[in-house]
Formats: sequence, C-alpha cells, structure tokens
Amino acid sequence: MNQNTSPLLQVRGLHVAYGKTAALHGIDLEVGKGEIVALIGANGAGKSTTLRAISGLLKPTAGSITWEDKPITGWSADRVVAQGIAHCPEERHIWPAMTVKENLMLGGFLCRTHAEVEERIGMAFHRFPRLRERQKQLAGTLSGGEQQMLAIARALMSEPRLLLLDEPSLGLSPKMADEVFTVVQEINAHGVTVMIVEQNVYNALSVASRAYVVETGRISASDSAANLLQDPDVLNAYLGA
Amino acid sequence: MDLFLQFLANGLVTGTFYALSALGLTLIFGLMRVVNFAHGEFYMLGGVLGWFVTAHLGLDFFSGLVLVAVVMAGFGWLVDRVLIERVRGQGEEPGILLTIGLSIFLANTALLLAGTAPQKIAGPLPNAPVFLGPVVLTEMRIFAVAVCAALILGAHLLIKKTKLGRAMRATFQDPMAAQLAGIKTARVYASTFALGSVLAASSGMLLGAIYSAQVTVGGIVSLKAFVVVILGGMGSFAGAIVGGLLLGVAEAFWGGYVSTGMVDIIGFIIVILTLIFKPYGLFSARAERA
Repeated sequence: MNQNTSPLLQVRGLHVAYGKTAALHGIDLEVGKGEIVALIGANGAGKSTTLRAISGLLKPTAGSITWEDKPITGWSADRVVAQGIAHCPEERHIWPAMTVKENLMLGGFLCRTHAEVEERIGMAFHRFPRLRERQKQLAGTLSGGEQQMLAIARALMSEPRLLLLDEPSLGLSPKMADEVFTVVQEINAHGVTVMIVEQNVYNALSVASRAYVVETGRISASDSAANLLQDPDVLNAYLGA
Repeated sequence: MDLFLQFLANGLVTGTFYALSALGLTLIFGLMRVVNFAHGEFYMLGGVLGWFVTAHLGLDFFSGLVLVAVVMAGFGWLVDRVLIERVRGQGEEPGILLTIGLSIFLANTALLLAGTAPQKIAGPLPNAPVFLGPVVLTEMRIFAVAVCAALILGAHLLIKKTKLGRAMRATFQDPMAAQLAGIKTARVYASTFALGSVLAASSGMLLGAIYSAQVTVGGIVSLKAFVVVILGGMGSFAGAIVGGLLLGVAEAFWGGYVSTGMVDIIGFIIVILTLIFKPYGLFSARAERA
C-alpha cells in the first residue's frame, strides 16, 4: 500500500462478540484507495464478522473503525452505506420474491431522484447484460451465478467507494467463479476499492494486491498477495499444497 | 331467485367490510410476523374516535375520517416503536402476549372514557333505499363499499408501486439485505403497523356509520378478521379480499336460508374446514412448504 496517503479505511483493535462469545479479539487492518484487499482464513475465523462490523450489521464491543478520517464505529448499517461503503453479504441475500429490476431499484434506495436510480440501473445492465434480459423475472428464479451478479450489481447501485464482498464464489461452478472474479477486477479498475473475503484462497490471492490472514479472531499475518502465494505456511494451511 | 340475489348482494357488502378490516391484520402479520390480537380494538378505536370527532367536534364525515386516520397512524406508529419494537425478532409468542395485553388495556380504557352505549356515527349519505333490479341496498352502504374498495386499492398500490412499499416488501423478505441497502427497517416496521392500524380504524368508522360504534366490539371483529385471514392465507393480500367476500356471502346465505340466530357459527365452520383441508389458506405463499 502507498504509505504516503492516509488509508481509506482503518480498523484498530476491533472486538466483536455474539452474546458472551467473543468472535474478534482485536483486528487491525487498513485498506488504501484503489486496492483489492483479501481476508483469508479458515471457516469461523472471523472474516465475515469483520465485514459485518465494518458495515454496521454488528456493533463492536471495543476498537475503532475510521472511514476517510471519520469515525464510523457503531454506526447503523443504513448510515454506513450512505457514507459510501457497500456490503455484498455471504449467500447473496437477494430478495427472492421481487423482480431483478426491483432488487436493483432497492439497491439505489438512497438515491434522491428516480432519474438517478434509472441511470444507475442502466449502468448495471450495461455491466451485466444477463440481468437486463432477466429484469422482469423474480430474483429467486435466477441461477446461482446470476444471483451473485445481481447481488454485486445491487451493492454497486449505492455507488460505493468501498465494496465489501463476502464469499462471492460460494456455491458457483469454477467457470462462474472465474467470471465473478473478472467482474471484481473490472469494478476495481473503475475506481472502486474492494475488500474481499474468500475461502477459495487461490482465487482471492490472484485478484488481490494484499491480504490479511485471519485466525481465531486475530490477524495472524499480512503481506502482498504474491508473497502469500509463496508462503509455505499459507500454502499448507489453506491451499492443501 | 330475487331473494338469492338480495342475499348475495348483502353478503358482498358485508364481505367488503370484512376484507378491509382483515387487510390490516394480514399486512401486519405478512410484513412483520406480528399476530396482532389488538386488531379488533384498533377497529373499535376508529369507530369511537369517529363518533367523537363527528358528534362532539362537529366535523363532517370525511374530515372526521381523515382526522381519525391521521390519529390512528400516529397511534400505530407509537405502539410499534414503544411496544412491538421490544419483542421484535423473538418469535411470535411474545408479540401475541403483548397484543393481547394491549387489547385488554384499550378495551377497558375505552369503556372508562366512552361508556357502553352504542353510538351512531352520522354518515354523509342518508339510509335511503336504492333499487338495483330486484336488489335493495342503501345509499350509505353503497358509499361505504366504494370507500372500502378505494382504501383496499390504495393499500395495494402503496405496497406494489411506491418506494415505501418496496422497502416494506424488502424488509419482510430479508431484513438484513434491507439494512444494507440503506433502508431504516425500524421505520418500515412502524409504517407498516401504522398502515394496518389506519385500515382497521377506517373500517371501524365506516361501519360505525352503518351500524354503530361500540367499545365492546373488538373481540368479535378480531374473531372475524382471523377467520378471513386463516381462510385467505396469513399474509396474503388477495387472500384477505377473497376470504372477506367468501365469509360475508356465506354468512348472508346461512342467515337467509338456515338461521339468523347462529350466523357467527359460519366463521368457526370455515376456520375448521380450512385448517383441515388447506391449513395454509387459499392464497398463502407458504402453501408449497406444507
């Protein structure tokens, strides 16, 4: 990361608990403008919990989250998204009984005018032509890959500067997963910073510039993606090499 | 044959009222998963307030209806924010206990303030008969049916076409995704509860102009609304309308051909048959999961 500019997102000593069970024990991380940063780690390590705390779905018990030099710790999810952080959650969470177009319209819920919503939907259809074809279909009838594209397109409707992507390749065929990762790189090339959580470590490291390794609620390592791909410990633990 | 048509017309008129009063109940259940046992008391409040603003404040029927709708929207909003909010996400039982308690509180408070006497609300039209072929209705009844239909249509358009309606459906289908899209879900829940309260109270005031407004009416209104909602399918908009009309017509025929004294038994028969043969109701989206 370029050390000369202050990071877009800064997380310091983040603690989160589910009831009395602590899930995060002091996460520290930074995301710089324009990066793709991956969080990798085993199931239950706290990757998704970290994203959920950043986007306001969970209230941290301690620590701070700073976004563009502004403290946003403990803000509700609807305020965080208004600040330019979109969270595309695990398992997609599209609205199944609404049409593709309605899903996108709601993604642009915070737009002030209808024209703005329509303009962004036009951009989404441009990026995902298949969604245009299926715009009147109920979202629940889409294939897994199409649902993931819809979930990403919906998150982009808020025109975020940071996109939090949780397990975008979950349950997809390798070919579909490749398509999703290509889309992620395209989105990043258009200036959107991306933080991605993936169990498919190889895929995550091949699109990310940097990555943090999360283990039992702590960051156990952080390095450039290229270095991590060479690291025997990481290869052993997550790539089965 | 003429008698048959007259019973059918009577049944459809009553059925429209049932549909409107059940709509609030089914909306609140469908969108919020709250089984509102105080629904009949919201209807009662609509009638009693309607009588108060027309007879005591001297408003005409329409201004009175608007004022009652506004007051009940605010009341519903507060009930959600102050009471329902506390039991949200804890399953259906705490909400049931809470609304049963609320219904007792409302019925007895109203009893204390308004007394037991039935009060007639002055309608905007006379009860003059209107002849439609062999069928006789009154002007006031036709008018009330028209207002009911307009309110049902308005609620439908609100939910299907407006931004608030989309936010309501999104919150119902996936509250987490709704929050992530920037929707303030607490406001959506409160708006839904307010809308349900307005629908219940409006039908209470309309019917108060045809029959009378009475503080003890809540129990029977809740009962009929539950019959309609169980028949149509919990949470189903179309189900509330069809269920309401079916109940109205069934009661009219039973009363006309069998026995007027036991009309209310029809509701129980319908509920029992529905639960045996179609436990999720005629229109429920959950039917395929049964």
